[in-house]
Amino acid sequence: MYGGDEVSAIVLDLGSHTCKAGYAGEDAPKAVFPSVVGSIEQSGLDDAVGIEKESQSVSEAKNGIKTIDSDKAKTKRKLYVGSQALGYRRDYMEVLSPIKDGLVVDWDMVDNIWDHAFRQCLLIDPKEHPMLLAEPSSNPQQQRERTAELMFEKYNVPALFLAKNAVLTSFASGRATSLVVDCGGGSTTVAAVHDGYVLQKAVASSPIGGEFLTDCMKKCLESKGIVLKPRYSFKRKEIRPGEFQTVDLDFSNTTESYKLYCQRVIASDIKEAVCRAPDTAFDETAYANIPTTSYELPDGQTIEIGADRFKIPGILFNPSLIHTIPGMDKFDHSTPSRGLPQMVIESINKCDVDIRRELFSSILLAGGTASMQQMKERLEKDLMEEAPQAARVKVLASGNATERRFSVWIGGSILASLGSFQQMWFSKSEFEEHGASYIQRKCP
Amino acid sequence: MEAVVVDAGSKLLKAGFAVPDQEPSLIIPTKMKSVPADGQSADGEYEEVFVDPVVRGFIKDWDAMEDLLHHVLYTCIGWEIGNEGQILFTDPLLTPKTVREQLVQLMFETFNISGFYASEQAVLSLYAVGRISGCTVDIGHGKIDIAPVCEGAVQHIASKRFEIGGIDLTKLLAQELHQSNPQINLDLSIVEKLKEQYACCAEDQSVYENLQKTSQVESHTLPDGQVITIRRERYTVGEALFQPSILGMDEYGIVEQLVRSISSVSSENLRQLLENTVVCGGTATMPGFEERFQKEAALCSSSIRPSLVKAPEYMPENLIKNSAWMGGAILAKVVFPQNQHITKAEYDETGPTIVHKKCF
Repeated sequence: MYGGDEVSAIVLDLGSHTCKAGYAGEDAPKAVFPSVVGSIEQSGLDDAVGIEKESQSVSEAKNGIKTIDSDKAKTKRKLYVGSQALGYRRDYMEVLSPIKDGLVVDWDMVDNIWDHAFRQCLLIDPKEHPMLLAEPSSNPQQQRERTAELMFEKYNVPALFLAKNAVLTSFASGRATSLVVDCGGGSTTVAAVHDGYVLQKAVASSPIGGEFLTDCMKKCLESKGIVLKPRYSFKRKEIRPGEFQTVDLDFSNTTESYKLYCQRVIASDIKEAVCRAPDTAFDETAYANIPTTSYELPDGQTIEIGADRFKIPGILFNPSLIHTIPGMDKFDHSTPSRGLPQMVIESINKCDVDIRRELFSSILLAGGTASMQQMKERLEKDLMEEAPQAARVKVLASGNATERRFSVWIGGSILASLGSFQQMWFSKSEFEEHGASYIQRKCP
Repeated sequence: MEAVVVDAGSKLLKAGFAVPDQEPSLIIPTKMKSVPADGQSADGEYEEVFVDPVVRGFIKDWDAMEDLLHHVLYTCIGWEIGNEGQILFTDPLLTPKTVREQLVQLMFETFNISGFYASEQAVLSLYAVGRISGCTVDIGHGKIDIAPVCEGAVQHIASKRFEIGGIDLTKLLAQELHQSNPQINLDLSIVEKLKEQYACCAEDQSVYENLQKTSQVESHTLPDGQVITIRRERYTVGEALFQPSILGMDEYGIVEQLVRSISSVSSENLRQLLENTVVCGGTATMPGFEERFQKEAALCSSSIRPSLVKAPEYMPENLIKNSAWMGGAILAKVVFPQNQHITKAEYDETGPTIVHKKCF
């Protein structure tokens, strides 16, 4: 039993796109950085070895790319974590993601990410702070045990708790029962929470997430002939006072994955700046003559984006739009992809009849992708069409975009600072006594 | 009695009564010499141990800090024991919670002050130039902080901290001088003075490269009589801020970092942040720094470019060096009369954690 004194807990949410960390009790995480790492193989900078692992986009075809076993961390490599370290271009640096399909595949990288968050971003000693970790709503037992082992044995935390993302989002809005629609970077998950517990049978997830939409945006732009130049690849020179010229720099030793990562950062910014969810189902002809918005790229080029502004978010609601984007035909069709409203209805129908009414009237939107404009209105409209007549559909989303992005973290911050929560921690002594499998009992 | 404002940096401690629009009355180095307490010395010799209570911006040695503050508050400022007043401290970016709590505890329990407030240096530097939103680039002795501030709140998500500062530039200068003047032995404190006297920034990267080949020779007489020649090393020091690869660091230059950090803030405030950039800190007073900064900013590839804020005319000359202290003086005038600070009674009731609730 960990009493929990005044030392504040740390809330850590490692998502597939960004990692958020900070003190409990605060209203926003202090440390937010990408959850990918840059890695340089120390033993011989030989590209012929070619260990390449594609960054987190699930949709990109895995053709000809060898996937490495997570325990291959025995090959010596130097890892660079954090937006500062990743922002600097280094020769031979590959960008790798430890999380694939929502599950951790490389624990060494996760370890480095946590270490960076604790020692460089928050400047704390993990030994002195209980940790609240956010985990995906359908996390396998083995992953939870591995997390507990890593935390207790390497970092010697005094206490630990693993909370599901959906439950934390629910707490962030002050509800114990709700349907959480989490549109994150790597995937979109719909989960029903009842009295603070996730109903496992009603969890639905789709691989279409923020990263996927970013890739679609990139392909759309490329099909129009716009090439995104990564920030490191050009430099501006002043030839005459007041006149500037962009000069391309050549760095031949930069890896493909790093270039892709930099281009994704730019495409992601474009997506966040111009995209809006369409009010009705996206139709090519209807949006053909829409006025375009301009966006300035880092190298000074201004581009105009028209119908794509609505097409990209429309993919969330109607995945068949993917076929219309040139270059995205490699998308895996084995899993039947359904749009967001269909996933919500499906999830609710799997729950008991009694709670369905309550779930319909408290649908929460969370995640970075959900902070797109008009997302809430469009979802509400689509659901009202598909839901049974008697149900009153209400979609709730906090007005502040930062709150939507970090709602899982905020929920964790609230939970860890509650007085009544302090007795629920899984303490180090309990871990030593009962082992890692005890976590299933302590953190439901 | 006026409140006291203390800005403890890695090199200099600035303190004084909170009188706005004036310089701090006390600027002393934070480096201290440790003297054996009972005067014992083995074999008649004792080593001179230098103690730095503030390392890279954070207070590390609490006993030394206590001694330093004791000297500052009772001897220099003139407080009397039993009649202590109110104090405002400045924190660097990313100060851990425990450090803040320890400071509050030290002040209330050891010094028995009547009121306390702490604020972040980035916000105070902006107050000193009369803004509440903008971006602060604080180039100090031990660290460089880049912090966007919106309406008085630091955007922690977008702020960056670098572990390089004036001290690393001094070491660089020492290294370079040693290479060109091998016979002369230089002490770091002397190099520090040389840096302050001679270091400057080249106008442009290409100008810098030209200067590497040919530049004026300056000869300087050291206190012990030796004469050294300083040629291109003076420009190297200034260039290191814009090209950290000279220091051996894998980073982009200061202006690039500023633009990158601001672009991670939401785009509504972008213009406001970039156009209100404040550069402060001792190292920024290098001749040629501001012009170089503006030039690099003009090369920055976006429609909105960083531009430096002009200090108001009523502010004293040395604003850049002491902006955090001056902002603190302005803030102290607002916070203490309005009772927004932590009083002794509140501290006794809640304990050190009250600092997180009352001072952001």
